[in-house]
Amino acid sequence: MNSDASAHLRSCVSAAAGGLVPRHRFSGLLIGLLLAAALLLFPCSQPAIAQSPTELPLELQIDASIDQQNSTAGVPAVEQADADTLLRRTTLDLAGRIPTAKERDWYLALPAQTRQQLLVDRLLQLPDFDFHLRNSLDELLLPERPNDGEFREYLLTAVRERRPWSRMFREMLMASSVDGPDKGAAQFLKSRVRELDDLTNDTAVLFFGVNISCAKCHDHPLVSDWKQDHYYGMQAFFQRTFSSKKNVLLENPLGSVRFKTTAGEDRDAKFMFLTGAVVADATPTLTDEEKKAIEEQVRRLEREDDAQPITVSFSPRQALIETALADQQLYLARNIVNRTWARLLGTGFVDPPDQMHSGNPASHPQLLSDLAADFVQHDYDLRRLIRGIVLSRTYARSSRWTSEAAPPAAQTFAVAAARPLTPRQLAASLQIAVRSSDSWPSVEETLAKPDDWLKRRTDIENQAGAWMREFEQPAADFQIAVDEALFFSNSDRVQSDLLRDGGDRLVGALRSAETPELAAAELWRVVCGREPSAEEIEVVRGWLARAPERRVSDMQSLVWALLAGAEFRFNH
Amino acid sequence: MSDSGLSRRGFLSGATIGVGGALAADMRGVNGLRAEELAGELRRGEKHVILLWLAGGASQLETWDPKPGSKTGGPFGAISTNVAGIQVSELLPKLAQRMHLTAVIRSLNTKIADHGRGADLMERGRLDDPGLRYPDLGAVAARELGRLESTVPDYVSLYTSTEGRRKGTSGFLGARYAPLFLAENMAPPNSALHERLTAAEHQDRAALRDLLSKRFAAEHRSSTVGSLNSAYQRVQGMMASAGLFNIEQEPAEVRARYGPTQFGEQCLIARRLVEAGVPFVKVARAWWDSHGQNFETHLELCADLDHCMSVLLDDLQERGLLEKTLVITLGEFGRTPGINASLGRDHFASAWSCSLSGMGIRGGVVYGATDAEGHTVTDGEASAADLFATILQALGIDHTHEYMVGARPTPLADFGSKPIQAVLA
Amino acid sequence: MRPNDEPTPSATEAATPAQEPPAAATAAFLPAKITVDRTVRLPSMTFCMARHQPSGRVFCGGADFGLHHFDPAAEKPETKTLSESRHSSYVTGLVNSGGTLISGGYDKSLIWWNAESGEQIRRIEAAHGRWIRALAVSPDGTRLASVGDDMKTQIRDAATGDCLLTLEGYEQQTPHGFPSMLYTVVFSADGSRIATGNRTGRVLVRDVQSGEILQTIEAPVMYTWDPRARRHSIGGIRSLAFSPDGSLLAVGGMGQVGNIDHLEGKSRVEVFRVATGERLYEIEDSKYKGLVEKLQFSADQKWLLAAGGDHGGFLSIWSMETGKLLVQEKVGSHLHDFELLSDRTLVTVGHEQASLITLA
Repeated sequence: MNSDASAHLRSCVSAAAGGLVPRHRFSGLLIGLLLAAALLLFPCSQPAIAQSPTELPLELQIDASIDQQNSTAGVPAVEQADADTLLRRTTLDLAGRIPTAKERDWYLALPAQTRQQLLVDRLLQLPDFDFHLRNSLDELLLPERPNDGEFREYLLTAVRERRPWSRMFREMLMASSVDGPDKGAAQFLKSRVRELDDLTNDTAVLFFGVNISCAKCHDHPLVSDWKQDHYYGMQAFFQRTFSSKKNVLLENPLGSVRFKTTAGEDRDAKFMFLTGAVVADATPTLTDEEKKAIEEQVRRLEREDDAQPITVSFSPRQALIETALADQQLYLARNIVNRTWARLLGTGFVDPPDQMHSGNPASHPQLLSDLAADFVQHDYDLRRLIRGIVLSRTYARSSRWTSEAAPPAAQTFAVAAARPLTPRQLAASLQIAVRSSDSWPSVEETLAKPDDWLKRRTDIENQAGAWMREFEQPAADFQIAVDEALFFSNSDRVQSDLLRDGGDRLVGALRSAETPELAAAELWRVVCGREPSAEEIEVVRGWLARAPERRVSDMQSLVWALLAGAEFRFNH
Repeated sequence: MSDSGLSRRGFLSGATIGVGGALAADMRGVNGLRAEELAGELRRGEKHVILLWLAGGASQLETWDPKPGSKTGGPFGAISTNVAGIQVSELLPKLAQRMHLTAVIRSLNTKIADHGRGADLMERGRLDDPGLRYPDLGAVAARELGRLESTVPDYVSLYTSTEGRRKGTSGFLGARYAPLFLAENMAPPNSALHERLTAAEHQDRAALRDLLSKRFAAEHRSSTVGSLNSAYQRVQGMMASAGLFNIEQEPAEVRARYGPTQFGEQCLIARRLVEAGVPFVKVARAWWDSHGQNFETHLELCADLDHCMSVLLDDLQERGLLEKTLVITLGEFGRTPGINASLGRDHFASAWSCSLSGMGIRGGVVYGATDAEGHTVTDGEASAADLFATILQALGIDHTHEYMVGARPTPLADFGSKPIQAVLA
Repeated sequence: MRPNDEPTPSATEAATPAQEPPAAATAAFLPAKITVDRTVRLPSMTFCMARHQPSGRVFCGGADFGLHHFDPAAEKPETKTLSESRHSSYVTGLVNSGGTLISGGYDKSLIWWNAESGEQIRRIEAAHGRWIRALAVSPDGTRLASVGDDMKTQIRDAATGDCLLTLEGYEQQTPHGFPSMLYTVVFSADGSRIATGNRTGRVLVRDVQSGEILQTIEAPVMYTWDPRARRHSIGGIRSLAFSPDGSLLAVGGMGQVGNIDHLEGKSRVEVFRVATGERLYEIEDSKYKGLVEKLQFSADQKWLLAAGGDHGGFLSIWSMETGKLLVQEKVGSHLHDFELLSDRTLVTVGHEQASLITLA
């Protein structure tokens, strides 16, 4: 393991020295630091690790921390995944789909030492990345409304423009744009505005990684961090939010949260953030008449289309935003770092991801803090974070576990997880997998004609939108239901669309393959992104030998058997 | 102690929670059957539950716990039943004549009065803990009452309305016990052979899939990966049992008896499924959430419930199935004694009712009581966990039986729950 | 909208107009303002009211099964309970017939009351087979009409209680197999006709003497039935009013509802020509939601007063010359009934409150 690690480090260093890492400004000094860091990977140098790893590329920080902890605990890590597996995994994670056979050809032709980096940097430039990151954020933030067009348009715009997460957070919680593509930012709040508890708890869970709902009725029974004051403090930031008749989110200058403590005392909630930071209400004191006028105006806004808009001198939601962005405990950053890690590795440092509190410490607290600090230092750049994670050796581990012994615990990250595809990943991948290898452009063509690829990828995205409903969004301990197996086995959509015969279709390509071996090669390259094994070729030979005339239905069954198979269903 | 003996604890203690969950569900497969389990195995498929889920929350005052003449009682009267001393709302005249089959619990205090978490609680008998998702009653019944090799689904959920539609969850028991969920039609979706495939082609293709998936599954032994192959293993059986959902196969007079409403048709499907060996059927009837026009809502929906449940009880009894079938009415909560300005009743979980009929139940019993206006429980307060313990006992399942989830022993009904002996036969 | 060249409803459509149309030269009073002058706390949700003559007191009935009364002319009206004897369920209909009060309720019974002593003069148990939903009394006070969820309409001699006619003509069940309901009944101003309205939006206009159906009017939008997602209904025709000349019939209820857990449909009024069944106006309120529980035309037939609500109550006044809103106001909680005390003052009753209101 350690020799692997230092070899990886050396390859990174040489790649850096050779100028293959254009996104980083490497200096001689930094190279020296990198070499020093390589030494730190040995267990004897443990204490130094936490001191100042922040100047290392993220991927090296990650590997150093994970390896060091596993080494201390005696957890053996598995080997790195093979090239085909890593290409598929990285493409699914960055582009939201499986790679095409043409992309595989390109990837395999690259020098082994640098191809992951070249792949990652290519994928980060593709429209695919924007679509997929948008989808991931959409699934996180608006899970109950998988097809909210306005919200999805907003997210896509924000991701395309590479907006910092801090800005997106501000846009979603301020909800101040009423026109244009940013209008949809308001959907996060609008979809919850009828339930103050949803506004409160979903914001805490999804942006700060904290589930304080148990602290509503009483101080949290299990987590000493969360008191009723926190719950109602968070609620106070949203209590004045309301939706006008014209469906614009506004804030009432008046209103406060009053709650009964478990001791039976009535208490006014402060505007209190999770850290205990309190914001004073800067609303000027109003006379009873002014208050009455405001109440009337709010009532009109709720009921009438043409009511005068209301302005506030103090916005509790803005106060929440500023407080969260000034928070030294970095709840906002740690949450999205943890969730991004969980999305790419299968499990978060903090798991479940909404249980970020002292009773549920992170598996790698220092690494989480370092990544969060780096994220903030680099202007909340999600791409930088994602890039760092997928360039790590930790990310690139094999998912195979063949030993009789139980596999290492998920939070050791010593074995890659087999993660079920999300509905959109699965639906988009199906669109790739049912077409022949020749029907896709080469990487060079995509580079030369980016607009053509954008159009094609947009089509895939739209088609995926129509298929995704057939599949379930994975959650913790996800189990695939018999419904999905029945859908694949019997639905007309699968039979008539996915398995359709035709010139550019995989079924058509298999039918015109001259030998069973060529058919097998095409089938596995397209669907699984790898060469078939000898046994698999044998299975195809046997299957086709039953009826040598190459019936369409036999080819369809072959394609179906792989599409419905476990290897295709998972990101592994 | 339960069947989670020391050897199993030892076997599982090294596993992570995620993997352990599925292993818990599959322990019989792992360890083989012990003698007493084998005997139990032979009896499997003979006990059933039909849960009539009154989604949105039915009013206890308009059903099982009327308060006629009180400030909160609303306009309906109470009527005597065929059991001396027991009265129910006048909206349930037919069920009143079948009171000898039913035990009513009037003293539920389940505290949670929002739909989502209220339904979580009443479906599972407890709320999820962080990192631990509990199975709902249907999944537990499927696990405890179903046959491993059953060719019928073991947990069917009919939920065609939109309000609060919930699929149900098998939690840590895993996908094997997830419900067959019928949301759009009354036939399971995708259960018929495609016209362009023969049955032989369909089966061959499935065998090919299994063959080609074998290696991947062997190298990736997670419960999630395993769930995919399990799902495909059940396709043939599910297709074979699709006819159970077709009530056209019933004689016209039977269908007429259940009546024209969809709830009636679904109750008939439930009886067909139970007769065929399905352990758990949930029929959800939504729109009890009567924030406005509570009384008219209950006029409409109680008429449906009264008729359909009465016919269902009769039909089960005539077929000798009632002694093997527990029929439950339950929702996420009851409704406020106070009546709002829209003549509605709002959410209320502090003092409400449910009913249990049939298997394992002492009929003609009312357990617990509320005050004169129905605001609080005055006698026999019961929690969701107590109700679950009661239901499990009625079915002959030890509610203290523990599943091992990872290294965590988890009883079937929550810690500290007590069955309500007064309603048990 | 009503075309300008449309002839105004002719007096021949009504056998004997109760009132002369106002002189053309008189400037019509069109209310432009609704003011709540005073409110009176009532002991329970209140569904019906009747002004007793000659005392002028307002009597009302509701969810506490009893009758209560107050003096609307008093500075601070005090509510008194008529009698300790009560109905055994909600009181939903109350009329004044020649100084005697008659009430009906969900207990299916009709009770004749001495309004001074509180004594029960007559009680008819099980007058209907199911809930009594509404009562109406003929303008001359001699006839009592009642409707109930047995879907029957009864015409009685108001003085003796004798049942003169029992009228059917409505389905017992909705087309979807659920119990139907018959909510409302009104007399025409000349007392010759009655109109009734049910849950699914059907109005029957009949001759009071013979019971013959003179007109059938459908207002199906008032009934919300979702056949797919909900399989449950809400709505129905909750109020009716003949115009003073008998030519028009206003029908009140609620528009189609999305989430039928709540009274969240737009409040709705449709106005029909009785003779032809043609719909003159279709009014959906853009501001207030909920059921229109009571309707009344102005004496000059130029406007229509509508009251109802969801949780909140409203009063709306619609021009019968244009079908457009003249004025509307939120009034307390859900209003169930009102009565004009003069052409510019009225009393409303609703959720635990009565309001004395001036129109200007």
